[in-house]
Amino acid sequence: MLAGFDWSVIPASLPFLGQGLLYSLQLTVVAMTGGVIFGTLLALARLSGGPVLAGAAAVYVNTMRSIPLLMVILWFFLIIPLLTGKPMGAERSAMITFTAFEAAYYSEIMRAGIQSVSRGQVNAGYALGMTYAQTMMHIVLPQAVRNMLPVLLTQTIVLFQDTSLVYAIGAKDLLKAAEITGRNYNRPVEMYLFVAVIYFAICFSLSLLVRRLNRKIAIVR
Amino acid sequence: MAMIEIRHVFKWYDKFQVLADCSTQVEKGEVVVVCGPSGSGKSTLIKCVNALEPFQQGEIVVDGVSVGASATNLPKLRARVGMVFQHFELFPHMSIVDNLTIGQVKVLGRPRELAREKGLNLLARVGLSAQAEKFPGQLSGGQQQRVAIARALSMDPICMLFDEPTSALDPEMINEVLDVMVELAAEGMTMMVVTHEMGFARKVANRVIFMDGGRIVEDDAKDTFFGNPRSERAQQFLAKILHH
Repeated sequence: MLAGFDWSVIPASLPFLGQGLLYSLQLTVVAMTGGVIFGTLLALARLSGGPVLAGAAAVYVNTMRSIPLLMVILWFFLIIPLLTGKPMGAERSAMITFTAFEAAYYSEIMRAGIQSVSRGQVNAGYALGMTYAQTMMHIVLPQAVRNMLPVLLTQTIVLFQDTSLVYAIGAKDLLKAAEITGRNYNRPVEMYLFVAVIYFAICFSLSLLVRRLNRKIAIVR
Repeated sequence: MAMIEIRHVFKWYDKFQVLADCSTQVEKGEVVVVCGPSGSGKSTLIKCVNALEPFQQGEIVVDGVSVGASATNLPKLRARVGMVFQHFELFPHMSIVDNLTIGQVKVLGRPRELAREKGLNLLARVGLSAQAEKFPGQLSGGQQQRVAIARALSMDPICMLFDEPTSALDPEMINEVLDVMVELAAEGMTMMVVTHEMGFARKVANRVIFMDGGRIVEDDAKDTFFGNPRSERAQQFLAKILHH
């Protein structure tokens, strides 16, 4: 059955696929970094106890978590040009959308992480004369991230897989690059198969890393 | 003026009263031991002194600064009051020496090198120089608590609060911690100590406070307290604790 395939198109399209992969990875890193930072702020807001701040953060997180990512990507891509009067570019639009969307998920992870650090640790920071911000920065968040590292990484694997959705707005990620080359060479099946292998290789090695981390953290505890 | 003044402090958790009309004071250089059955409010009271617990009524003044006043800069006040916790609360993600420097660097703004030197000196003082680069999880409970005392001292506190510093320790480790505290008292440190270690109280306390049901039932000079406690509750408590 494989005899009908023409694999020679793959070496020829590697540079173009490489560009697509690079964008997919960039999008993942930007959305992860931005998402963790913004998500941590959302988590702190939800835990602040202030009804307005906590309420606003809760509404944001729950809204984002209740809408399919593909719809958020499309809406943002279509609405921003209407508001600003000029198009933003699919690549940039996707980065902002993903950061905003992933922040909701990362914030739930960080919230659990912050709550996993005992009240006594917070008190110890305060007792040394640290402010709320210093206590969070130096005492609570480092421990929260360490406790949650496997979960944060797992979410990042999901995020990397989800970046393929940006092909819907025409951003040139790995999947889009495969689609374009597949069409140019008239070999879509080979190309889709090949990128599937790439997605698998990256995600699987990351999940192996998560498994190792889990074991390491279990030992530390 | 006293170093710590507690005047008519009341505290409620919702409708449940945990402190009722507590008044006492700790003079400069004095060691005051607070004891009483569990749930009597002694830990809550000591946590009110550096505002780790809020209270609804009354006033606590530390070195002339009112703890409950809204204008008070709490971090600044707490930086001058050392506190040692029942469960040590060392920072598990930092080495021992980093535990001793973080407050100095981030709160007092000391240069890192100077802070490290001071931290190492304090470690030597509590007999733990060899553990400087280890992490808290690698130390025994007694060692961790000595580090916690050194960490509090690294801030050059004007007084020290101890919240049941030996209650979480195995019996064979209690003395190494108490020894450090006795030494500290001998140097003239102002100390307020919540503890059931009556041997320690006999040795170094100037006064003993006995609490029950959120109230200060006895507040006596040490000899009066041990020789002739006035309240029946204190007599029962002492009888129980001393005959074990």
